[in-house]
Amino acid sequence: MIGGLDGDAAAHAALLRALVPLLERFYRRRLAGSNEVDDLVQETLIAVHGRRATYDRGRPFTAWLYAIARYRMIDHLRRQRRHIPIEDVEAMLVTEGFEASANARIDVTRLLDTLPPKQSRAIRDTHIDGQSIAEAATRAGIGESDVKISVHRGLRALAARLKG
Amino acid sequence: MSTESTERLIRQLSSDVARVPPNAVTRRIAIGIATGCVLAALYMGATIGVRPDLDAAIQGSSFWIKAAYTLSIAMVAMSTAVKLARPDASVPRGLWLLAVPALLLAGVGVVELASTPSGDWLAMWLGQSWRSCPWHVLTLSIPIFAGLLWSFRRLAPTHFRAAGAAAGLSAGGWAATIYCLHCPEVSAVFVLTWYTLGIALTASVGALMGSRLLRW
Repeated sequence: MIGGLDGDAAAHAALLRALVPLLERFYRRRLAGSNEVDDLVQETLIAVHGRRATYDRGRPFTAWLYAIARYRMIDHLRRQRRHIPIEDVEAMLVTEGFEASANARIDVTRLLDTLPPKQSRAIRDTHIDGQSIAEAATRAGIGESDVKISVHRGLRALAARLKG
Repeated sequence: MSTESTERLIRQLSSDVARVPPNAVTRRIAIGIATGCVLAALYMGATIGVRPDLDAAIQGSSFWIKAAYTLSIAMVAMSTAVKLARPDASVPRGLWLLAVPALLLAGVGVVELASTPSGDWLAMWLGQSWRSCPWHVLTLSIPIFAGLLWSFRRLAPTHFRAAGAAAGLSAGGWAATIYCLHCPEVSAVFVLTWYTLGIALTASVGALMGSRLLRW
């Protein structure tokens, strides 16, 4: 970046080339399945080039880069929303809600898988599938207090992991 | 995949790589403000003119107290604007510095009031021109604000409202400084009220327009 700021065209081109995979990953993670990632990457490259004067040499480069990338994404979404007919918005909100809950479910499943099987089963039965302690105990063939202790220990381990 | 067009874009972009000096942001903002100030001063010269007794006034302290007050506001606002011109700016914290000139001026005002019979306080506060002063400041700030918009066009603000307010505040501070060359008022309480009001107006207008005009 510094080379580009000093007018070194080769360094500048190398920088822009190196940014392409970073930006692709950045946008792909946030706009899953969107075919506009390439456009956004190119727009961001143009912004990085055109506004490189706003980079402060004393500060971390990635913070600057992702601030631009984030703004380009917000601006992109804003422009896109403006052209969506009102009837589609409802459908879009429903899809987004589904996607959010689906993502949350994936996260929870992944977290539970990190626990010992007895604890994760106890949590899944009582907290996600909505069984009572007694039901969960008979189905797992263990005592009720065992279920309670498993739930308690499991939740505590998850809480510690999320905080840590 | 459009990697090919990306590659073409990169080649095109890196075909013109001008050197960027380290203080490019400050320089660009200074150019915008300076151009605006020249225009504002010319406009004032052509309309309301400078005060006829300017030669005598610059010998006195009240002229310099006014100028110091408005200039210090302009300086704080400019340094904030420079920070907000970067995309990774955080919400600015240095604004409490604005309280320093205001408190100093208020101190001068208290001394003034104490040495004036209370019957004259209202006349001192309103002066001759309280009605027009804030509006003159607002009018003179227009070209300076426009100059700053030009500066921001190649910069990358992301907090639009804050950046707009900082630009408005800088424009207001400089406009008030230029207005000092015309304004014949001498009392600190007058300046503290009506100049501040004019500058606050420009800052508010800037904040309102920021989110519309500063997008890129």
